[in-house]
Amino acid sequence: MRNKEHYKKIGFMCGLEIHQRLATERKLFCACSASMQEHAPVGRIERRQRAVAGELGAVDVSTAFESARKRRFYYNIFRESSCLVDTDEEPPHGVNMEAVGIAMRIASSLDARIPYEIEPMRKEVVDGSDPSAFQRSMMVGYDGSIEVSGRRIPIPSIFLEEESSGIESSSKDEVVYNLDRLGIPLIEIDTDPVIETPEEAKEVARRIGLILRLSGKVQRGIGSIRQDVNVSIGKGSRVEIKGFQELGSMDEIIENEVERQEKLVAIREVLLRRHARVGTPIDVTGVFEGTGARIIKEKLAEGGIVVAVKLSGFGGLVGTEISKGLRLGTEISDYAKSAGVKGIIHSDENLSGSYGIASEEAEWIVRDLGVGPDDAFILIADEKERCYRAIALAVRRAELALEGVPQETRGIDQRLHVTRFLRPIPGGSRMYPETDAVPIGAAEAMEGVMMERIDPSKIMKNLEKELKNAQLSEQMLWSSSLQLYNQILARTGADPVVVAATLLEKFREMKRDGIQVERIGDDAIMKVFELYSSGRITKAAIETIMRRIPSDAYEVESAVRELSLERIGKAELKKIISEFRKAGVKDIKREVMTKYRLNVDGRELDDIIG
Amino acid sequence: MYGGKAGKALLDIGIRVGDRIKVTSGEGSFEGVLMPKPDSGEKDAIVIKLKNGYNIGIKFTEDMKIMKVGSAESFSFPRSSMKFGKGLPKIGLVYTGGTIGSKIDYMTGGVHMLTKPEELLYEVGELTEIAEVHVDDLMSVASEDISHVEWAMIAKAVADAFEEGARGVVITHGTDTMHYTSAALSFMLSDLQGPVVLTGAQRSSDRGSSDAFMNLICAASLAARSEIAEVGIAMHMDTSDKYCGFIRGTKARKMHTSARDAFRPINNRFIARIGYSGNIEYLDGYKKAGKGARTKATVKFEPRIAMVKTYPNSDPGILDYHIGKGVKGIIIEGTGLGHAPVSTKHKEYNWMDAMKRAVDAGCLLGITSQCINGRVNGSVYRNARIIADAGAVYCEDMLTEVAYVKLGFLLAHHRKEEAARLLRVNMAGEITDRTETGGVDGAFDAQ
Repeated sequence: MRNKEHYKKIGFMCGLEIHQRLATERKLFCACSASMQEHAPVGRIERRQRAVAGELGAVDVSTAFESARKRRFYYNIFRESSCLVDTDEEPPHGVNMEAVGIAMRIASSLDARIPYEIEPMRKEVVDGSDPSAFQRSMMVGYDGSIEVSGRRIPIPSIFLEEESSGIESSSKDEVVYNLDRLGIPLIEIDTDPVIETPEEAKEVARRIGLILRLSGKVQRGIGSIRQDVNVSIGKGSRVEIKGFQELGSMDEIIENEVERQEKLVAIREVLLRRHARVGTPIDVTGVFEGTGARIIKEKLAEGGIVVAVKLSGFGGLVGTEISKGLRLGTEISDYAKSAGVKGIIHSDENLSGSYGIASEEAEWIVRDLGVGPDDAFILIADEKERCYRAIALAVRRAELALEGVPQETRGIDQRLHVTRFLRPIPGGSRMYPETDAVPIGAAEAMEGVMMERIDPSKIMKNLEKELKNAQLSEQMLWSSSLQLYNQILARTGADPVVVAATLLEKFREMKRDGIQVERIGDDAIMKVFELYSSGRITKAAIETIMRRIPSDAYEVESAVRELSLERIGKAELKKIISEFRKAGVKDIKREVMTKYRLNVDGRELDDIIG
Repeated sequence: MYGGKAGKALLDIGIRVGDRIKVTSGEGSFEGVLMPKPDSGEKDAIVIKLKNGYNIGIKFTEDMKIMKVGSAESFSFPRSSMKFGKGLPKIGLVYTGGTIGSKIDYMTGGVHMLTKPEELLYEVGELTEIAEVHVDDLMSVASEDISHVEWAMIAKAVADAFEEGARGVVITHGTDTMHYTSAALSFMLSDLQGPVVLTGAQRSSDRGSSDAFMNLICAASLAARSEIAEVGIAMHMDTSDKYCGFIRGTKARKMHTSARDAFRPINNRFIARIGYSGNIEYLDGYKKAGKGARTKATVKFEPRIAMVKTYPNSDPGILDYHIGKGVKGIIIEGTGLGHAPVSTKHKEYNWMDAMKRAVDAGCLLGITSQCINGRVNGSVYRNARIIADAGAVYCEDMLTEVAYVKLGFLLAHHRKEEAARLLRVNMAGEITDRTETGGVDGAFDAQ
């Protein structure tokens, strides 16, 4: 097990970028709804984007990479939650001051300073996720910090920006995006890369997440908060891991990433000792004439070709495991795949067993390429143009092995808890002023805005007062339901203990029973407590309704009707009791509860029976 | 750029916009590039571009420490070089300015007009496979600043391009008044040898998402390969980057302030649809070049004309104003079928007498409709008959803007009576004798 000392020794550096969608009524630069509640798009448009040369005539590496993929972009349009601003057909409207206010309060709660004047910027985006090819962003705080387990972690900057479009589907040729998500206000909080261990990274993320939630103005649910982690070790280089959605496995994933980087550094040392180098791709289609290797046979039948490249000095290393289930070969394959091929075949694999490549075929290639005992080779079979694009990317990745750890943006394999290549890390994004939006004077923006510091200990004290239970309060403080809990109390005046117990304990039990509690609508939950608080249902009925997973208030009402959950009022209860008495029932309480368990308030019953 | 005390302080230390500076004040210490002051925002803010790319506005104070740490780096666009494929058709590209020819200054975010149109071609490499493009860097003017003087220059440039062997001509133009220019060229150019295609962009070409690329590719494809011998506009057919529609120059109108598919054919169909890859489908009839056609530019224009609009409570005195200025003709954009308030009992709103005074003063009146779609008619309602009797010309299904341009063209070449006759005779597709069923959005247009 690695300890703090080990991480220090290997030069571990780690910083976080936390992105959280804000819960505002409207989007950041237009009047569209920011709630993403529409289910079906009303139309779809097609757009193309191209790499445009920068001021120095250079195109950024990740721009060029995306351009090489030549994908088409489609955008789903929504009636209430997308408009011409989203489709890049109308200049932005004025900035959403509600969002600016929330962002400023969060920034100052993270001890950041707020600029005298906030300047809206455009940040170039190349993956098509924004039809305008840029994202609007502004710095709303600087020089902040947060204390985590007694250590101050600097937060150099805090940004308020537009959320990107959600991906509906994606393939090698096209991506379909949903515009309902585009432009929702998003706050980004960056820490300095001073985090010392994977555990600390998780702790810092948890703490920042807490402050965000306690603002009471953030969206809940899957994807509403995303953590990116930058990780490097002394002999490696910066790798950006994107898409942590839950913190549970964050430390484990970072540990695995560190291991991967260490292994890549070790491989590099062997490669340098062997004077390794990467050859030039050669067309070896002829070798596979009449082949029995299924994958190759299929591609050839479609008119494809087979290309091979020799990796001198790579023998045995391509198949070396570098992270759980990942080999150097996987990395090379992931690069090739971004050109649209299924993958690569390499010589550290069992060629005949796994692919049905005959030993004479393998020998031909060994002879053709001049592969020696310390060497390896890779093969790609596909349609010609795609094949050459893929092999060029594979060659690039193999060459990068000589440098150790490539700078990459990587995603997460949720099953293995390891990272996988997504794309090269973008150079500093090109940024320029959003001249269609006016700068924001912070002093004026703060007028009338609730700027009270978000203080977890103060909120904890309030919770303890409300719930009179330290454990439940602690759970509620850290729960993503806190915001909803507060809204329920404010709107319905329901008993805090009942609300908290339902949202935390009851929901947990229901989850264990396989009920998808996350699909219960906030609107429905609110309605249930409204009915409870106004005496129309009993406490016991709450769970019964929730177990039906209502998505809105209407479904709650119909559940009450269909299941006859209306509470029996005092007068009627008295009548029932007196009828039972007349009938000579002995244990009246038991009898009533058996018959009307969900409709009768137990305490009320006790009062009447006396 | 910076005024007041901040401007003076910066000047005193010899700091210019673009210089790298370090500023220390109560707000903290910042190092970065001094940016131009935005037109709006806090008056005393100094704007610096930080290392992370973001700009920040810092309050200028007397005790602020400002230091220059580096000088402005010079800024230039990439050099362009174009090699065209062999044996491609030759086309002319007349560059006049507008959004399609503007580029962002990444430092200030401001948009500049390109000084070299080749820079635009540089971004659209596909052109080298479509045609051998000969660029005529005619002018760099925003379309709202274009007048009949520029129309004449463009018309001559087009005729010159044909003279020099082009088989078609593309004109890049700002979008705001592109339909005025297309109308003017439709009248000024006669005996056309090939297609004259105006195109532009709603989003500047420095953006990866710009509509300029497809518009230019489609326009060039049409100029290089189509047999159409008419002036028209090729811009996005709908919001997708999929097809451009080619609209007759006298039947086009900008119908949206900002959308990509702003240009629509009015009382007409799209003549052709051009795909991103340059394939052309014809959707309606068009004129082909006559044998031995030789494009001629007749550029005289009578600018002493006007365009006015009637509306509830409108003051007919506007006609007297124009008569006083000596205008030779006025297009009145009336309501409905071409009506104006000529029977109202409120004397101050009755246009009848003013219209008579205009006709008596030798002014040619033309009537169009605010409905945009449809045809005017001077004989259905009494009010219209009164107007027609007074000598006003009903302009059929002509767009107001086109009627205006045609009026200026006619009055420059003909006496009033002949101009009045020709105003309602089709010359360049501006008048059709039948209007197809299909609603106002061309609901039945082939898509």
